[in-house]
Amino acid sequence: MWRNIAVIGVGQTKHGIRRDINAAEMIAEAAWKALEDAELGPEDIDAIAIGNMQGFGGICQAELWSGDLFAAPGKPVLRIATGGTTGGSVAQCGMYQVASGLFDTVLAIGFEKHSDSKEPGATMGLSHVGLANMFHLLANGVDVRTSFAYGGGVGAAAGVSAYQACEYMHRSGCKIEHLDMVAAKSRRNAAKNKYAHLQWPNCTAESLAKHPRFGEIVAYPLRLGHICPASDGASAIVIASEEIARKADRPAWVRGLAACADEENQQAENAQGVSILDTSEQMQCRIAAMKAYRMAGIKNPREEIDVAEIYQPFPHQELMYSERLLLFDDGKAWIPLEEGETEIDGKLPIDPSGGVLSTNAIGSSAMQRVAECALQIMGKAEEHQVPKDVKNAVAHGWGGSTNFTVVTVLGDTPRLRW
Amino acid sequence: MMREKVAIIGYAQSYHQANMPMTREDMVFEVAKEAAKMAGIEREDIDTVINATNDYYEGRTISELFLVMPIGAYLKDYTKVEMDGANAVFYGMLKILSGTHDIALIVANTQGSTFNPHQISVYTLDPTFDRQIGVLNDISAAAIQARVYMNKYGISEEEAAIVSVKNLGNAAKNPHAHRRMPGISLEEVLSSKLYCDPIRELTMSPISDGAAAVVLASEKKARELSDCPVWIKGVGSCQDSYIRDRKLYKLEGLEAAAKKAYQMAGIKNPFAELDAAEVSERYAHEELMIYEALGFCEEGRGGTLIDSCATFNDGQLPVNPSGGALSADPITATGLIRIVEATMQIRGEAGAHQIPGAWRVLAHGQTGICAQQNIVFILGGEE
Repeated sequence: MWRNIAVIGVGQTKHGIRRDINAAEMIAEAAWKALEDAELGPEDIDAIAIGNMQGFGGICQAELWSGDLFAAPGKPVLRIATGGTTGGSVAQCGMYQVASGLFDTVLAIGFEKHSDSKEPGATMGLSHVGLANMFHLLANGVDVRTSFAYGGGVGAAAGVSAYQACEYMHRSGCKIEHLDMVAAKSRRNAAKNKYAHLQWPNCTAESLAKHPRFGEIVAYPLRLGHICPASDGASAIVIASEEIARKADRPAWVRGLAACADEENQQAENAQGVSILDTSEQMQCRIAAMKAYRMAGIKNPREEIDVAEIYQPFPHQELMYSERLLLFDDGKAWIPLEEGETEIDGKLPIDPSGGVLSTNAIGSSAMQRVAECALQIMGKAEEHQVPKDVKNAVAHGWGGSTNFTVVTVLGDTPRLRW
Repeated sequence: MMREKVAIIGYAQSYHQANMPMTREDMVFEVAKEAAKMAGIEREDIDTVINATNDYYEGRTISELFLVMPIGAYLKDYTKVEMDGANAVFYGMLKILSGTHDIALIVANTQGSTFNPHQISVYTLDPTFDRQIGVLNDISAAAIQARVYMNKYGISEEEAAIVSVKNLGNAAKNPHAHRRMPGISLEEVLSSKLYCDPIRELTMSPISDGAAAVVLASEKKARELSDCPVWIKGVGSCQDSYIRDRKLYKLEGLEAAAKKAYQMAGIKNPFAELDAAEVSERYAHEELMIYEALGFCEEGRGGTLIDSCATFNDGQLPVNPSGGALSADPITATGLIRIVEATMQIRGEAGAHQIPGAWRVLAHGQTGICAQQNIVFILGGEE
């Protein structure tokens, strides 16, 4: 990348079930908050990147009818959608728009309004994937009658995740208790984040496991309390070139960004895939992480990364992806978890915002990871601000059937120094 | 201003048709492979892959999920633009200009036979008001647009129908087109089935299956790999207001997009300086509106321009020598096909519909009801 770019403004709506507001108003709320945070007006924005998963909200190309509420008319708009990674891909699109030199200030928005489709929204979107997957597998000669794993295929990414959790537990030797600990940490942290959806102050692994409702196993090894909600919400960031970012108080500089795609995981589950034998391998995440760190000039991520925002709708993914992001040894992430290293005040805080486990508005989720990293660097994370000087933060997102990854590294100093 | 030049060094398109006897994956694999082969690159040389599909038109959420392998994105930088394919080229160009990538593969595909796109267009309407009333879809909205435009400027149905005669006739020479009608007459167009007055079967685009691909390269790589790179001279993109909130008798968004692209390419008089244009006209009357927005004629004179035959293949500025969107419309691929056709014209590889000496060609893509979002590319050969 030939020029420095930075995140100079962040805006989020309260995430949750938002029946008080429609999709357009929700997008506008996040967009205007981000503009206000960046101290810019809509006329200062040169281009817009936006995205959501349209099957989940029942609206096709929502940016076209809602555009007038966030100053889109007259501007170049790029709509990006890549499954769960959508928000992260949108953020990266905004970054490339500025990095190209064609635009100086870009607004990037991710949103989802699950409650707009038939309750619960995510189920409709997921069954849309599941059914299409079944036809795909049939067309490719996979006999779904004999494939136990197809049960996972019907649940799409959620279905894959239950299998993946088992594979990860087998690989790492972590126990269901560790998943309880991750989930409890997420709910606890979310209680400190005013924008989060599921908040449970002082939640502990025991109280979650013994809870009559949330403790129930839905699909082994996942309890109801381990599973992300289907939220409504939007988040936005303003990305600017160096000249503009220099005027900001403490911008979050973009130091590295990478995306990577692997083979679709359901084929692997059905033992028909060609490359993936273990869905907890996550080769694409390692590659993206290595590329992003190299671009950011980070040689030892364990020492240099101060906070990580990992996309973890299911608790084993926080452990698994923290390893794939090269923050811990393969299969060993549960040890620092036990020692409390990943708490807000720990050595390497992971998801101080509560993460996707507590708030999942698909299109907004991976965008929130970038936004939260920016907030930690800017020192604006309020109650869940980590108690240390944040120099580098890594934002992660996964999408598809856990086969797409985006990794963005933000820092307190620009990438290129003259 | 662009800090370096970006070139198209390879392209491919499918044989668009109503119901392709191929899976989506096979169709995409064919075009991606062919484009890379033409560019003289291996899969290992590609830095980033960008796909343009739309979940609704594909009939599945995360429409690109199974496309990772066929488009060669395996373990590569990958993303999807959920708009017309021309926007994916724009994104690929941004990545190359950022200096992070050198070679980008852009693939766009839609199988209209999966889901009726006119039904889906209802989901692109404002869900709280327009969708509930149940009167509008893309065809009825286009009919309103056509009437508003024709009434304001006194354009007749015949003038719009000439566009169909021109494009469907041109398509007869294009083996990739879906609706090819040699010797089609004005009467045939005007007596075709009426969908929503004045929109008829032959004045709207057909529902097609199809895919297209291009390979983009940075200046250094393009000179290394290709002896006939086609340069992106200018680009402009603009989203307009929603149909309720804008003037339907003109395409103001396209006008703004074209202005940016012309400025970047240094074009002052497009009608004189361009050698050909490939535009995405989903409806015949839209092509007349596009003429005006692109500055080929004055506002309201689109009918006069087509009457003068200036945009026929032997005219001063041939528009849609390939047959345009009226001859094949695989929704998200349509804009990319325009770019592919423009590239073919500049490289002199268009075969029977070649415009002799085409060296500077415009390509246009649109997304949304009544062409709400527009993107304009100016492509050119070596100066």
